[in-house]
Amino acid sequence: MRHGKYRFIIGFLAIPLALYGTLVISPFVQDFQISLTDWTGLTPDKHYIGFDNYRKIIHDHLFWQSLWHNVLLLLIVPIVTLAFGLFFAFMLNVGGRRKGSASVAGVRGSGFYKIVFFFPQVLSVTVIAILWQQIYNPDPEEGVLNVILKDVGLGSLTQSWLGDPKLALACIMAVMVWANVGFYVVLFSAGMSSIPTEIYEAALLDGAKRFTTFFKVTLPLLSDTVATGWVYMGIIAMDAFAFVQLMSVNNGGPNEKTDVVPLLLYKTAFRDNSQYGLAAAMGVAMLVVTLLFAVLTLRLSRRERIEF
Amino acid sequence: MTTETIDEVPGSAPRKPGSPAASATGWKWRRSEGGVLNAFSHAFLVIWALMVGLPLLWALWSSFKSSGDILSHPMSFPTHFKFDNWSHAWTKAHMGRYFVNTIIVVGFSTAGTMLFGSMAAYVLARFEFPLNRLIYFLFVGGMAFPVVMVLVPLFFVTTNLGIINTLPGLILVYIAYSLPFTVFFMTSFFRTLPTSVAEAALVDGASHTRTFFQIMVPMARPGIISIGIFNVLGQWNQYLLPLVLNQGDTSKWVLTQGLADLAVQQGYQGDWGGLFAGLSIAMLPVLAVYIVFQRQVQAGLTAGALK
Amino acid sequence: MGSEINRRDALKRAMAVGLVAIPSASVLTACATSSGGDKNKPVATGTKSAANPLGVKNGAPLEAFVFKGGFGDDYIKSAEAVYNSTYGTTVKHTGTQAIGPKLQPRFANNTPPDFMDNSGADNLDTAALAKEGKLLDLTPLLNAPTIDDPSKKVSDVLIAGTVQQGQFGSQAMYALNYAFTVYGSWYSNKLFKEKGWTYPQTFDEAIALGAKAKAAGIALFTYPGKYPYYVHFDMFAQFGKVGGKDVLNAIDDLEDGALQVDAVKQVVQYYEELAAKKLFLAGSEGKTHIQMQTDWTKYKAALVADGSWVENEAAPTMPKDFDLAVGPLVGGGPSDKLPFGTVYAAAGEPFIVAANGKNPAGGMELLRIMLSKKQTDNFTNTIKSLTCVQGAADGLTLTPGLASASAALKAAGDNVLNARIQDWYVKLNNETIGNLTAQLLTGQINAAKWIEQAQKACDATKKDSSVPKFKHV
Repeated sequence: MRHGKYRFIIGFLAIPLALYGTLVISPFVQDFQISLTDWTGLTPDKHYIGFDNYRKIIHDHLFWQSLWHNVLLLLIVPIVTLAFGLFFAFMLNVGGRRKGSASVAGVRGSGFYKIVFFFPQVLSVTVIAILWQQIYNPDPEEGVLNVILKDVGLGSLTQSWLGDPKLALACIMAVMVWANVGFYVVLFSAGMSSIPTEIYEAALLDGAKRFTTFFKVTLPLLSDTVATGWVYMGIIAMDAFAFVQLMSVNNGGPNEKTDVVPLLLYKTAFRDNSQYGLAAAMGVAMLVVTLLFAVLTLRLSRRERIEF
Repeated sequence: MTTETIDEVPGSAPRKPGSPAASATGWKWRRSEGGVLNAFSHAFLVIWALMVGLPLLWALWSSFKSSGDILSHPMSFPTHFKFDNWSHAWTKAHMGRYFVNTIIVVGFSTAGTMLFGSMAAYVLARFEFPLNRLIYFLFVGGMAFPVVMVLVPLFFVTTNLGIINTLPGLILVYIAYSLPFTVFFMTSFFRTLPTSVAEAALVDGASHTRTFFQIMVPMARPGIISIGIFNVLGQWNQYLLPLVLNQGDTSKWVLTQGLADLAVQQGYQGDWGGLFAGLSIAMLPVLAVYIVFQRQVQAGLTAGALK
Repeated sequence: MGSEINRRDALKRAMAVGLVAIPSASVLTACATSSGGDKNKPVATGTKSAANPLGVKNGAPLEAFVFKGGFGDDYIKSAEAVYNSTYGTTVKHTGTQAIGPKLQPRFANNTPPDFMDNSGADNLDTAALAKEGKLLDLTPLLNAPTIDDPSKKVSDVLIAGTVQQGQFGSQAMYALNYAFTVYGSWYSNKLFKEKGWTYPQTFDEAIALGAKAKAAGIALFTYPGKYPYYVHFDMFAQFGKVGGKDVLNAIDDLEDGALQVDAVKQVVQYYEELAAKKLFLAGSEGKTHIQMQTDWTKYKAALVADGSWVENEAAPTMPKDFDLAVGPLVGGGPSDKLPFGTVYAAAGEPFIVAANGKNPAGGMELLRIMLSKKQTDNFTNTIKSLTCVQGAADGLTLTPGLASASAALKAAGDNVLNARIQDWYVKLNNETIGNLTAQLLTGQINAAKWIEQAQKACDATKKDSSVPKFKHV
């Protein structure tokens, strides 16, 4: 029996671990090694230079600024996305007019909403970036957003959007939220619809308002799903690379106000004199930050609490 | 109270006869609250639906316009329908072929991810053995890896294995990079399943492997479906990995590569009509599939969500 | 990697999988970087002859990996067709974008394509490649006879400056910049005629024109905020026009205080004034180059700083009667070192041949074919752009923009400027200084601040040992 157990464990872990080790772990270990060299990425030659690259990063204000942007993304994008997701899911499932004796009901057309909201999820980032580039067109007469603002009498609010250092990062965040809310609406409303209506009815009969029921009943019951969503969204926010690269002006601009570490790393590794060693060091530094986030999230999530 | 008027908005469902509208004040109060909420929900839902739907419709109708028209009159409807954008995108930009490739890659890699991810997660969740925690954290820590930074070493690894620029290679890479979240998710899931059934099966003499495939997998089906959906979406939108690891023959490209190609080309050649046609070709079938299967998707998520 | 799985491959695979169990650092290194392995791989060489001066081997495979941007890649395919029929092979052609991330690992792996067009926004740093010895010195190509006239060497027919443009601090030419680009302020002759405007010669005239245009509801300038370095096409050349070529060369050479001179001050103050008087089209700071060109072809702005590719790129929205023209550099006036009529022009679209490819001779030969009259005519006719071959536009019917560019170039004579900082120090020019320029044009910083910060950035680049340095020879 014991022997069989270990054979079984090894048998089940062998392939996943082999794949993972070869294709994920080993490149990362190599990256750590590379971060200690002056490798350009263009030749097989490299020289070990100790921790010079890390020293360089510590003194690079652009790195810290980019990392700060990552932190902002990591804090704001998941919170807003999940909040919107929960809000809409709640609206869809509980916001409806009661029918007959049922005390809670979904709004009419909730199926339709769930389909529409999900749309951006099936689009690739490239597509989303191009679409929004047109929407954010700063031209007062052609920019879609500016024209809409004007038409509703808010002409004074027209902006140059991605061209404005104060707004650019927020504009990109908005697109990330836009692209991801739909998935969480579907995910959360699936969760909500499996909460037995009797629970709601009991709460409502107790005189609780619907918003109270949301915080007292819905949210606690969904906490696991929310935690999972949080982790998944965190991964997306941390790697805002494609969004920023495709949408920002001047590759992380204006004035480096939208630069994020993955983009900085990409520029350093592939373009700016091919300083692959330096880029690798940035990657390692970023990994440390992300791991901190991951550990924190895991500690906070209920599923893991069973574990620790 | 204004809430009552909102309750009467035209087009709202006729009040059911005998509905106790004013029978008890408590009831009434809560009822009107529902009315506010209803109007309120609809307003927000409609706004968001427009925000999501209009850009896509815009892309769709732009795909019938000439490039000059799109740029000069972005908001107008097409004056005359230009179908050659579509035929151009389909034939010259090979969107059709990329589509098939993407389906092959995502299909196999999602299946592989679910199989290998569940196997690893099951073992990690249910068996005690040395290194268990280490392996678990090795997997879960992978969620924190920024993919950008491994591109070059990964290029060497795949070259050495001889799997670069091949679809099977891409599938293996997708599986490997989807494992962290899958293992994380499935491990939690397996831990929540009751142990008694599996134990009974083992006592009856079933092997561990058989127990897993015949008892645990069916029990874990909702979780597997949920994670499958996460993976299909994630892998469908992979952007950087194929760009670098699958840059060989264009006949092996996946959709994201084709679209990136079209997008950059548009920046230099101004073929906007072609771009939007390409976008539509990439987007419509996926939407269609989602609409057809959305019940299953939601059912899968529902079952997975509250476990 | 060959299709045949030999023992060595199988071993390597086994090793790579074995690594999982024992992630030993040293083994990993071996795996990562020695894979380029086949250092003594066969290089295809044939016998040299009059018709085959570079010694291309018949039937040897050749891989072309080219940037497919504003020029497309049909003009390269057309040259490849000639190559195919001459040498009995089929060139493996990849036309693509985002060249950098795709090529870098191949270089590091010592398996680069033979022939590349390293262009576009995501290209590799040609300077770094040259410094690392990854590129073939194209001197044999320069010394080879041309296809059209065997009595002439290739170097004899190239436009002056083309060879220098491909040099990176030594006599070796590593890149052949095939397209010859004329930069300047582009405008619609039709609009100018209609409004009775004349193209300005001095800063004062430009500002006066700006006021007139503004009254007519048209902005003087627009620029793409997404790529603020477009403005440098004019600005840096203007440093040279006002202060002479030495000023520009000093900037290229990253000399101390190169930007803290009067010529630079005068030019940057002009841009400060343009910004202060709001002569840039509103919203320019957030636009892509396509959005900018569209506004301009809709006559919302009079001028754009751009290269001669704009005629091709803006074609979808350009009205038929736009009558595109390019103006020479606007300057300070008669006190300038160089006269009105000075233009900024340079060869662009760098074609490179890998030093350790499988068929370097073939790569050079393909370039030789591209430089033949038949191919350059094809390029100029279809792409509406000049090539780096002298008189390549002779005898062709030119489109308005191209005709204007080639007239401006002819009129400029020797007064042609070229700012090398744009290809020697790409990040410095495009991003670091580009960011400052973006702020200058939106009035967030003034000229003095621009100069101070830009000089600081140049100094930092100079001090950064990881950036390869170049000097005018």
